[in-house]
Amino acid sequence: MHRDEIPPGTLYLLILKTLARGGELHGYEIAKTIQQNSEDVLQVEEGSLYPALQRMLVKGWVKAYWGTTAENRRARYYRLTSLGRKQLQIEQSQFERVIGAITRVIETA
Amino acid sequence: MGRIGELWRRLAMLFRRGKFDRDMDEEIRLHLELREKERAANGFSAEDAHMNARKNFGNALALREASHDSWGWAWLEHLAQDLKFAFRMLRKSPGFTAVAVLTLALGIGANTAIFSIVDAIFLRPLPFAHADRIYLVDRTGNRLGGSSISEAIFVAWQREADGIFEHLGLFRSIGTVKLTGTGEAEMISAAGASPEFFPALGIQPEMGRNFNPQDGKPDAPHVAILSDSFWRNRFGSDPNVLGHSVTLEGLPFTIVGVLPPQFMWPVEASPPQVWLAVQVPVISNNPSNGGRLAIGRLKPGVSLAQAEAALTPALGELHHEFPQMFSPEEKAHLDLLHDFLTKGAGSAPLLLFGAVGLVLLIACANVANLMLARSAARQREMAVRAAIGASRARIVSQLLTESVILAVFGGGIGLFVCYAVFGAILSFVPTEIPHIGAYKIDGIVLLFSFLLSVLTGIIFGLAPAMTASKVDLNGSLKDARAQSTPSGAGRIRSVLASSEVAISLILLIGAALTIQSLARLMWAPAGFDASNVLTFRVALSGEKYGTAQKRSTFFKQAIERLAASPGIEAAGVTDTLPSLDTGSDMLFSLENEFNAQGSTEAHDADIRVISPDYLRVLHVPLVRGRLFNESDNATNTPVVLINQAMAKALWPGQDPIGHRIWIGKSMGPSGAEPAPRQIVGVVADMRQDSLADPSNPAMYIPYEQTKYTDSEYFVLRTARSPLLAVPQARDALRAIDPETPPTQVSSMQDVVYASVKDWRFHATLLGIFGALALVIAAIGVYGVISYSVVQRTHEIGIRMALGAQQSSILRLVIRQGLTLAGVGIVVGIGAALALARLIASLLYGVSATDPLTFAGVAALLLIVAVAACYIPARRAMRVDPMVALRYE
Repeated sequence: MHRDEIPPGTLYLLILKTLARGGELHGYEIAKTIQQNSEDVLQVEEGSLYPALQRMLVKGWVKAYWGTTAENRRARYYRLTSLGRKQLQIEQSQFERVIGAITRVIETA
Repeated sequence: MGRIGELWRRLAMLFRRGKFDRDMDEEIRLHLELREKERAANGFSAEDAHMNARKNFGNALALREASHDSWGWAWLEHLAQDLKFAFRMLRKSPGFTAVAVLTLALGIGANTAIFSIVDAIFLRPLPFAHADRIYLVDRTGNRLGGSSISEAIFVAWQREADGIFEHLGLFRSIGTVKLTGTGEAEMISAAGASPEFFPALGIQPEMGRNFNPQDGKPDAPHVAILSDSFWRNRFGSDPNVLGHSVTLEGLPFTIVGVLPPQFMWPVEASPPQVWLAVQVPVISNNPSNGGRLAIGRLKPGVSLAQAEAALTPALGELHHEFPQMFSPEEKAHLDLLHDFLTKGAGSAPLLLFGAVGLVLLIACANVANLMLARSAARQREMAVRAAIGASRARIVSQLLTESVILAVFGGGIGLFVCYAVFGAILSFVPTEIPHIGAYKIDGIVLLFSFLLSVLTGIIFGLAPAMTASKVDLNGSLKDARAQSTPSGAGRIRSVLASSEVAISLILLIGAALTIQSLARLMWAPAGFDASNVLTFRVALSGEKYGTAQKRSTFFKQAIERLAASPGIEAAGVTDTLPSLDTGSDMLFSLENEFNAQGSTEAHDADIRVISPDYLRVLHVPLVRGRLFNESDNATNTPVVLINQAMAKALWPGQDPIGHRIWIGKSMGPSGAEPAPRQIVGVVADMRQDSLADPSNPAMYIPYEQTKYTDSEYFVLRTARSPLLAVPQARDALRAIDPETPPTQVSSMQDVVYASVKDWRFHATLLGIFGALALVIAAIGVYGVISYSVVQRTHEIGIRMALGAQQSSILRLVIRQGLTLAGVGIVVGIGAALALARLIASLLYGVSATDPLTFAGVAALLLIVAVAACYIPARRAMRVDPMVALRYE
């Protein structure tokens, strides 16, 4: 099974989107969700996921709070803020613009 | 909003870092557990699942750090770590820390003290609004070379001022005046100002009014404006002071205003306490050099060139009117007031600042040397740090933190040093140097001191840090002793020690030259005998002394009474004490020029008004003819004495006695004396203006034959120490007129001593800096040599085992020291020769490249270097070959 690296700059978008859909998730769930939704193509490295989450906390895109998992285990859950929702739109439109441009370049070639 | 929110979150994280790290750990643990569970569910064995989860996860610690760093506080945390560690390291080696901190404290303290002086002289802005447009309006090319203008020029410029200046004011230096009517008579400083003077500086009286054009007219009532401090001290801040009067020189002046407290006038050495209205227009005897200063505030947008071009034609017109007083090439010249002040200070303070900077540089080199020696001992520590993943930058920043802490500590103690010696240093600063506000250790000085400390720490720490961080991991960790010097450190240390020698050579040569100058000045034949002479000043003013006749009577009585007092052998009077002030000079004509009209090329000589015994009191020998006596009074033939310089210049090879000269003749009827004078004697030369100035042609006239006698100095030849005669002198004067007390009482030796204040200032400070430099450099050489002896113990042991004599070991070590010093001396001499030009202006009677001084200082440094090597050399001689070899 081959897994591709996540293209640089899209990790925020993936996390934001995952949280927008999933509501409140902890780190492992975020990584798992991205992996599943990408049908095992994209794998989020923990080494980039957690620092990225921290940077998003700094920027105020997400909020974190401690809750308990289904197994009654303490876990830190992340939730989008309104600022994060705005950021998602920005990231998404930016991504679509870039992808569209790349696609056009490839198709003309 | 977003930015503030972000900053807030960052700060919150910073203060709860412990909790943050625990949370991160727990989050990571959960992640690992969940992953392990997943692996186990996929059929891995429990152990494999654990291993696999960990392996894929990578370094949990690195992850935590990366998450931690996301918050942007890494620099602060590193700094905190570095600081904590640096403190621990410095506490662990108190000897090293103490030596380094003290060396730096001396260097930084001295620099802070000198900076506070340089700040007040050169850097502080003038406390005037629009100081960038306030100019001293002057001229160039005038015949007598003075730097002042007259009322006549001012009046001519005032007519042109409208388009150029917002205000053009006139300042007149008055000096001290006698204040009476408020208890004991007192001399206070006064100055004159025209109505536009204060507005030009943007100053308005705090209370009352400024001068108006009516003030200062000959028939107008006398008015005065008080300085704030005078108003506070003399009138107890009386709010109703306006309209009261002060009695100056026997005349009442009505107080019309009080200046604001922040007003200061840095041009005068002692701030004027009372301001009087100057009389404009008045055409004085000398329409060219009036000793006045014009201060103008340019209109915005008017350029310097425009202003100068507009004012120059007025000087041309004056040249036509007074052809002898003005030369045709005179041009108006504007100087920023601030520049004018700093020019007046000369280059000496900056030179001293440079010198004290060199002292700090030596201190830096020394501490760098100590750190290099220590870095050898700490090589293993560095290797361990590097081995567990510290980057080179991180090690350098750690070591730099240590050196900056050392320097900041040094700076802190240096501030105490500075406070402690500040008063002593200030007592050497000549009061004539114009400066803006008081010399003080203020915020700017503290900031300078702090920045200097940090910079110092980086300067002396960088080389050791770079060297130490270049670790050879393998070698250092393997070799248990690890005492080998990091590559290049030995060479750097030698270079540093040689530089210390070179820099101290420069400073010592500067010190030796200025000290010699001072000594030569003090020993120079001044032409008069200052020992056992008491001097004081008496100012005669008011109705009581309104005529020359009345003043003559006073002086005659005073001289008689003083000379008859116990302990006083003789008494004389002069208008200018030698070496106290620049006295006046006058133009005069020789007999064959008496009748020439207009363009007479007159002669110029110093002129002194004296009493018959004046020259006798000062032991100035008579060369030919006679001195003055009682019969040289107002009714007899006007006479004059001349000095040898004047005799030689005008009557070479002839006897000048019997010739006649006419003082002021070329200046027309208003400036000329009523009759010519006959030369009755020639006296030896004496240095008049200062000890450093050679004797100019000079003439002496008897006080009974001139009207310029309102302020005179007495000189008394005393039997014993001159100050013991002060009570008798006071009694004698009180008996004649209790309202005319002696002022500026001082021994003639003190007057002479005070006149060389500049030289003492330079010589003392450079002497201190030179001595400091010598001591620090000696420690530096000692450090390098003794360290190298320790390193070479093994080699020396082998040499001795092979039969080397103790004396050859001694030579070996001393030779190394002499090489260090020799290189430093050669480089230092080269640098000193290159810098000679800078110090030349501070020297008297000795050349800036005096070979004897250079040789002497070089020899001194060699001797000190040998002495510094002696202790390590003895240690080397006593090396026991067996011990040294076994050690290996």
